[in-house]
Amino acid sequence: MASNILEVHEVSKAFNGVHAVTNATMSIEQGSISSIIGPNGAGKTTLFNLISGANRSDSGTITFNGARIEARYSHQIAHLGLIRTFQGAKVIKRLSVLDNIILAGQNNPGDNLSNFIFASKRKSYESKARAKAEQLLKMIGLTSLADEYAGILSGGQRKLLDLARAMMADPTLLLLDEPFAGVNPPLVERLLKILKKLKEERDLTLLLVEHDLETVMSISDKVFVMAQGTVIASGSPATIYENDAVIEAYLGSRKHSA
Amino acid sequence: MASFLQPSFWIFVLAVAGIYVIFALGLQLQYGVGGIMNFGQVGMMALSAYTMAILVITHGWNLYFACFMGVVVAAFGGVFLGLMTLRLSGDYFAIVSIAFSEIIRYVVNNSDGLTGGAQGSLAIPSPKGYSAGYTVTFDKLIRRMSADLQPIFGSWANRNFCMMLITWASAIILMVLVARLEKSSWGRVLRASREDDNVPSSLGKNVFKFRLQSLILGSILGGIAGIYWAMQYSIVTPDDFQTTITFFAWMVIILGGATAVRGVPVGAIVFSFLYAGTRFFNFPPFTWFSSVDRAYMRVIIIGVVLIILMLKRPQGVFGKREEMNLGQ
Repeated sequence: MASNILEVHEVSKAFNGVHAVTNATMSIEQGSISSIIGPNGAGKTTLFNLISGANRSDSGTITFNGARIEARYSHQIAHLGLIRTFQGAKVIKRLSVLDNIILAGQNNPGDNLSNFIFASKRKSYESKARAKAEQLLKMIGLTSLADEYAGILSGGQRKLLDLARAMMADPTLLLLDEPFAGVNPPLVERLLKILKKLKEERDLTLLLVEHDLETVMSISDKVFVMAQGTVIASGSPATIYENDAVIEAYLGSRKHSA
Repeated sequence: MASFLQPSFWIFVLAVAGIYVIFALGLQLQYGVGGIMNFGQVGMMALSAYTMAILVITHGWNLYFACFMGVVVAAFGGVFLGLMTLRLSGDYFAIVSIAFSEIIRYVVNNSDGLTGGAQGSLAIPSPKGYSAGYTVTFDKLIRRMSADLQPIFGSWANRNFCMMLITWASAIILMVLVARLEKSSWGRVLRASREDDNVPSSLGKNVFKFRLQSLILGSILGGIAGIYWAMQYSIVTPDDFQTTITFFAWMVIILGGATAVRGVPVGAIVFSFLYAGTRFFNFPPFTWFSSVDRAYMRVIIIGVVLIILMLKRPQGVFGKREEMNLGQ
């Protein structure tokens, strides 16, 4: 049986007395694709922020690959191999498309000011990173836009770039925040294909926040349902569809309309 | 009007413009690349100039060691300011940075026993009579330089001419270094943090470290400018380090285009010539006003030029409009 790469145990977070996440608990199996669903305001993105270190939890523990991370900064968590994307695909608009990807390269000696003087290490890394970034650009089909500012990309292209940039960081666990939101169906298909390919090729574990139920159910090994800041159910897509609490909290209207 | 036509006056203006290039280069790195709104840069100038002056006059240090120590103290000024305030968001940082430079100026102004107080470096105590001023060694260097240059440049090779060569040679070397740094991967992370620090953080970059480093580097540049400023004017007083000087440097980078290093020298020359040139507005309608009012009018005229520039070319002379628009 595969081990858990991520364990979230009774994690809570409140903002000025408003409970965004309350005793959320979940575990993610290595090599799986898991999704978090739930109505708006359920605490999904806050939970992502807590896992990735963008926000600090008030209580509870988060363990990634055996290491406690709830008190670490996001850059330290990223170094461990946990990379996230953001809702709405945050590209750096005033960097070129290629530079957006190269930015994510890990352990870049050029990031260290002391290596500015000794250029050889910096330059050899940069050329390797550039080659790798170009490969990723090819994978997402944006090679022709490599030298353009990322700010000129369309919403869909930004999603692709966001994914490629995250992959540049060689994650072992990738958190994707609404990767399919506002994306047209052919591009969703393409993104799904890329994700499945990456998962197989790189032993990648994926955790998604997503509203598109059809996509979630088709891609996920396990689904977590959040409502009012807590995980109310988890299981395979099939069992989630049958869960009464889930139907009431999230799927109710869908069943009625079906 | 006579000095308006004197080349020696404009050589002096160019020498000061060279100092502004170095001074504003720090702001260009911090703001143009890192998006850090530092309004306290003049504080670093004050730290280095006064440290150097005190070490030479009071403690009898070798001038060059004292200059080095002055720049080191300015760098530590950057560390201190950064550690205290860099976690503040843009506007708040800007406010605190002004306060930082003003605190330095007030402390300098009121520490008579250490800094000479309001009288400036002339009153810095020299208990063992090491030196009448801090420029003795530097003046020797300038005299030697001037003598060596006279066969080539004749009577032009005076003190200001030598200062112009020194400040511009330093400015060019520093510009090349800063431009290379901005193009490096270090600069790329800083550029990314300007837009959204969550993204580089989530990709494993310690954004605070990058921002602090840019503040320290900018402070070093401010410190170097402070040393040259002290040498150019031979004395320093607290009034030399008013916040207006920082805002002049901001005008320099806005005129030249904040995103490009090559905009800094252009901005510095345009600003310096405007600022010095408006000194000669001694004809109607300017003569209707007193000389004090006219001094203020110089700043108003530069303000009007800036407004026109903002309307016609908001990105500055060398800035990229596309990059500016994308940032909004």
